Amino acid sequence: MSAPSPAPAAPRSAPVYALVGNPNCGKSTLFNALTGLKQKVGNYPGVTVERKVGTAYTQHGQPLTLIDLPGAYSLAARSPDEAVTRDVLLGRRADTPTPDRIICIADATNLERNLYLVHQILDLGRPVILVLNMMDLAAQAGLTVRADHLSRELGIPVIPCEAAHGKGLIELKLALSRPDLPLPRHAWDIPAALAPAVSELQASLSAQDGKAPLVARAEALLLLTDPDPVRVAGSTPLSAATARILESWKQRWSSDGTDCSGTLVAARYDAIGRLARETIVPPATGAHPTAADATLALSDRIDAVATHPVWGWVIFASIMATMFLGIFTLAGIPMGWIESLMGWLGDHVSALLPPGDFHDLVIDGALAGIGGVIIFLPQILILFFFIGLLESTGYMARAAFIMDRVMSRVGLNGKSFIPLLSSYACAIPGIMAARTIEEPKDRLATILVAPFMSCSARLPVYLLLIAALVSSNEVPLGTQVGLMLLMYFLGTAGAFAFAWLFKKTLLRGAPPLMIMELPPYRLPRLRDVAWQMWERGAVFVKRAGTVILALSIVLWFLANFPKPPAVAEGEPPVDALAHSFAGRAGHAIEPLIAPLGFDWRIGIGLIQSFAAREVFNSSMGVIFAVEESDDEAATQAHLRDALRTAVRPDGTPLFTPLVCLSLMVFYVFAMQCISTIAVVKRETAGWKWPLFQLAYMTGTAWLACFILYQVGRALGF
Amino acid sequence: MSATLARLYPESLPLCQLPAGESARVQALSGETAFCQRLRELGFGERTFVTKISGRGPFICVVNGCRLALSHDAAACILVEPTGLRK
Repeated sequence: MSAPSPAPAAPRSAPVYALVGNPNCGKSTLFNALTGLKQKVGNYPGVTVERKVGTAYTQHGQPLTLIDLPGAYSLAARSPDEAVTRDVLLGRRADTPTPDRIICIADATNLERNLYLVHQILDLGRPVILVLNMMDLAAQAGLTVRADHLSRELGIPVIPCEAAHGKGLIELKLALSRPDLPLPRHAWDIPAALAPAVSELQASLSAQDGKAPLVARAEALLLLTDPDPVRVAGSTPLSAATARILESWKQRWSSDGTDCSGTLVAARYDAIGRLARETIVPPATGAHPTAADATLALSDRIDAVATHPVWGWVIFASIMATMFLGIFTLAGIPMGWIESLMGWLGDHVSALLPPGDFHDLVIDGALAGIGGVIIFLPQILILFFFIGLLESTGYMARAAFIMDRVMSRVGLNGKSFIPLLSSYACAIPGIMAARTIEEPKDRLATILVAPFMSCSARLPVYLLLIAALVSSNEVPLGTQVGLMLLMYFLGTAGAFAFAWLFKKTLLRGAPPLMIMELPPYRLPRLRDVAWQMWERGAVFVKRAGTVILALSIVLWFLANFPKPPAVAEGEPPVDALAHSFAGRAGHAIEPLIAPLGFDWRIGIGLIQSFAAREVFNSSMGVIFAVEESDDEAATQAHLRDALRTAVRPDGTPLFTPLVCLSLMVFYVFAMQCISTIAVVKRETAGWKWPLFQLAYMTGTAWLACFILYQVGRALGF
Repeated sequence: MSATLARLYPESLPLCQLPAGESARVQALSGETAFCQRLRELGFGERTFVTKISGRGPFICVVNGCRLALSHDAAACILVEPTGLRK
């Protein structure tokens, strides 16, 4: 491993390494193997790309900081994820240190494609360690990968590895120990037609933008292949001088017909093709280096069924049905535990605190608020268990593939499927999952319609209203299931209709051109799945402990202050509530919601639903002074009876079947979730879209209920 | 598919029209620059051999041992020259 010039020794303080690779190359597995539990998961400020930083140790016990960058096919970014990878590597982000050294991970079974990104990274002029992962699969496919040859050619350490089995980790850690990692001996010829532009841009980048010479060269090359650069928040923009030079070259090329991006990519692939041919010895009999891959042949056989126009849908539908059954039935058991735990906690804290406002704040505000959200943790864990399982087996890409035809009808592509699916459990993970959608307009459209999917917080509301709607005490199963399905259908139809509308108007764009890798099927790695569940769960719990806690306290305050005047002592609690800010707000919005069949008491429920929709049930309990019982079912029955007997001032029943139906439809369409608004604000980096979403969804809900109630009334219901 | 490209490569057809199971060689890419560049970066550039595995859009194609799914519109941007049946 001779090098033309050794790199300067790594700094004394923990050096920063970046881990980079294509999607599906085993990067996360390697990151988890190197850092273990010493990870911090957060977000890059202003963008919703996940930022994972961990501490790893060299073979000699020296600590180092390892940044796991999002998977990318190229530094010429097509999605926010790839843009973050590019910006961190180029030192364009002030919030993340420029990595001292880079660990590239490549899939040995598909070396040529993986080497494209490696090739771009070698240009950066920083020490690189190349990890060839999945050597076992390459060997199974009959490929001999000459890592030593690649190492000599590139002048960097090349380490064969099987991250899934922990093989090669010691060699990698030994390489991390080396104080004198060589700089890549990397030479490729920049096409002559582009060379003057590259040197002019390079000079400007080092003079005007303060880039080191080699980074400047790499960035100059990148600027030429970044036709419509994805700019993300937190990335330092180009200096005006450099931007001018770039613009003038682009104009010159477009006038004389030079395809600079095509020329550059082709030149790189020529160099890579040569490297790959020398590095990979194909099986003696096989005509093509990777065509004989046994795993791939098996994958093709599975795909023949899994992506079949008929069987594909059958398999897809059964998997989805299993998943939903899991989310809505299996989760019930741990949800019961959490409920009793929160109840136990409430009782104990209640006994500790003297009665008074502080007691009520802790019990009814903080604990009840957090409890109302934490209760969904089991569902979210089960959802992510399934998503993790589908991802690690490789089926997820097939699900997106199958759904592409449906999604393309409304102008979205298959990649919007996962976010929408997740939103049936909770819109928050759903909106977070929209990050992988490359086209910004498709991503935004997906985020805007995701909360239409009936989330699990609406479930208790639907159940209560259906129970109040039918006159018998036992709800006929057919009615319940039928109404339930109708609500889910309405939400889904709304999501698709609005996605179509947005793609036709506000977010008009060319039909998305989907190109997506289908990774070979693999046995799931349960450790990675568990890891992901833990990570997601932690993010969710953290949110419950911060944002949602604060919001619950605010809503509690609004429902309890100002206190009713002292003369009202002994009055039923409904008056205290009526006197509070929430009650006044309920009265204030009554004229607005009266045409939908709702009175001010329902209005309070609607307002309080902003904490979490299922709070509606407990507000109804408070308003109609339902006695709490230890038996959950009994409380529900009391509540149902209270709703049935509730009357308007003129003595007519309040919760007529039509009002119940109208209220359910309102819950289907309205945006009533502060947590979702907060997430959308973060995801879209501003208040514009969450406020738009709040307005258009609630407007739709109002209009739908107005039509339903008024037509229903006219028909005599 | 633009008329100019069709004139330049009379033997060719867009990838969406290639029958399933057949192999072909990529002749030219049309459409958005960014999309063409990503195709090339994924190793789906000019002169690459491609085999179409499954028929009705979206399609599954094999390029260099790697399975790629393409929507109908994406496949319409890729002009290929058929080279006959797979292996």
